[in-house]
Amino acid sequence: MRPWAAVAVASTLAAGAALLLPVRASDDAPYAGQSRPSPSRAYRAGEVIVAFRDGVDQPDMERVLRSGGATGARRSRFGPRVLAQLEPGLHVAEAVEWFSRMPGVAWAEPNGLLWVGQGASFRPNDSLYRIQWNLTQINAERTWAIQKGSPSVAVAVLDTGIAYEDYADPRTGQTFRRAPDWGETRFVPGYDFVDDDAHPNDDHGHGTHVASTIAEATNNAIGVAGLAFGCALMPVKVAAADGGATDFAMADGIDYAAGYSDGGSRPVRVINISLGGEGFSQTVTSAIDRAIASGVLVVASAGNTGGPVTFPANQPNVVAVGALDALKQKADYSSTGPELDLVAPGGDCKRDANGDGLRDCVYQQTFTEAVEAGRYDQFCYCGFAGTSMAAPHVSAAAALLFSQGFTDAVSVRTALEQTAERLGGAPAGGRNDTFGNGLVQPAAALPGLGFNVGTKK
Amino acid sequence: MKTPLAATALMLLGALPSGAGEIAVEAQVGYFDMAAQRSATALFGSSGGATFGGAVRYTFWRGAFASAGVRTFSKQGERVFLISPGAPIQKLGFPISLTLTPVMVSVGYRFRHGTLIVPYAAVGAAITSYSEKSDVAGQSFNDEGSKTGFVGAAGVEVGRGRFRFGAEAGYSSVVGAVGLGGISKVYGEDDLGGFHAIGKLIVAFGGKPKTAKP
Repeated sequence: MRPWAAVAVASTLAAGAALLLPVRASDDAPYAGQSRPSPSRAYRAGEVIVAFRDGVDQPDMERVLRSGGATGARRSRFGPRVLAQLEPGLHVAEAVEWFSRMPGVAWAEPNGLLWVGQGASFRPNDSLYRIQWNLTQINAERTWAIQKGSPSVAVAVLDTGIAYEDYADPRTGQTFRRAPDWGETRFVPGYDFVDDDAHPNDDHGHGTHVASTIAEATNNAIGVAGLAFGCALMPVKVAAADGGATDFAMADGIDYAAGYSDGGSRPVRVINISLGGEGFSQTVTSAIDRAIASGVLVVASAGNTGGPVTFPANQPNVVAVGALDALKQKADYSSTGPELDLVAPGGDCKRDANGDGLRDCVYQQTFTEAVEAGRYDQFCYCGFAGTSMAAPHVSAAAALLFSQGFTDAVSVRTALEQTAERLGGAPAGGRNDTFGNGLVQPAAALPGLGFNVGTKK
Repeated sequence: MKTPLAATALMLLGALPSGAGEIAVEAQVGYFDMAAQRSATALFGSSGGATFGGAVRYTFWRGAFASAGVRTFSKQGERVFLISPGAPIQKLGFPISLTLTPVMVSVGYRFRHGTLIVPYAAVGAAITSYSEKSDVAGQSFNDEGSKTGFVGAAGVEVGRGRFRFGAEAGYSSVVGAVGLGGISKVYGEDDLGGFHAIGKLIVAFGGKPKTAKP
């Protein structure tokens, strides 16, 4: 039996399901003629739609776009309009005003966002979503009304791999299956630092479960949900089938994830490490330092010993995440101490404290127990508990903040800490060693700050 | 009853010193730059912008006058996150608008009243209403209030007839209204006032124009 408890709630799953895209952009200008952003609409930061009059040729369009500070542009195949990417630092409102005044421009406006069923919350239709008390605990429905994640933001999951592809390993003869509830979740090319190949498939189950908390397909009518389901995942296998990882593989994995470039852009903004141990490694610490220096946020599980926070979570530049049970109490296994930064749902598979008829595990897709017999094609929505399950909630929350427009990892960390729900008698803005800064609440962090209005819980 | 009152008023006006009794209505347009410059720049890209308004002025003794007016100033931008004043500003794409509506009551003196170019200076109170509106996926993040501060201004008026032009520069300070939350708290900026430079179109009524001696 594995060190974490596993509870199956569904039988082996059928692969394949249609994904209902909950967000889509309109092809038509929703408020043509206006040249100012409407204060009632949200829009994508750094982008302006510029619609040109008929007859304006390509060189003139480019001249107009360059004059307004566009660094890139994508022309619509369906009309004389261009999606301009603005230079960092340019305000959308000012760019709209500038473009609107340029000759040849019919109108310019922010790239507004539309939601199906837009409102104060977004409830997905996944069939087993009701058992995800963990997502309710961190106000996921309100979070999704604001942000569901961008595929340009990736979370690297340094773990036992992810069941992300159908693959027959010619070296070992093992057959791997893609887990059924990935839908259209995007996977950034990862690496297997255990077997030194480009197929970081899971041979344990832990990594798939962790990754599913972050970005399992959501609102596709099957299975359960992931918090940052619009974001991408990078599978990085640093731990073997027995769940053990080496410092060398870990450091390689961190360097790989933080340094990965996709056509000049660096999609990995968050590294999730749901692994830990005693002691200290300079190799791993140096790799973490490099990752953080490159703007990546590193999140790690605090440990399941109930004692001090384990390595690498205990490093000051790593976000250490402890676990809560379904009643928002510290899980008895969750490590504590001054290094603890945040807590998130980690569960307790020994009891059903919330009375929903199921043990209070965190349920996500992963392998059935057949994995112990070397079967990597049998899946379930299974319950695990541990700070390993808590950390991906924080990683997903961070990915949502990056998706919203945050560019700085320190700002993401601070926003999550400042807006966390204080627990255990910690004063507003304060912390304690049991809960750190408190329970992560991404819906409180996402809106940022107004002129005289701060965050709202 | 009305006739004696009107007659008394006319007698009083006649008894006033030269220039007294003039009522002027002003239309104003110009530029306002917020004192909370860093907060405004972070949210709106700049701290300044157009301001519009109007005022009524009554000259009650020689060049001394009392004035009451209102202006409006608004900015639109996007919500941000900021850890500390030196940290990178994180732009989040949620629209936010800010409107300032100062009501100004002031007293001043018009020097060389009756000449073609009349300089003046005024001081008074600025009762500034403040409204912040923002919506994030259906949740309102609104704030409003008002606070009283002071305003000082100096300018010139050009013209002798009923229609005149003017230009004015001034500064208002309305501390304590903001800086309690949001970006203004991060920057430690609590002043809703700022610098203004405005042009005026003035229509004057009544009064006894001072005639130049030969």
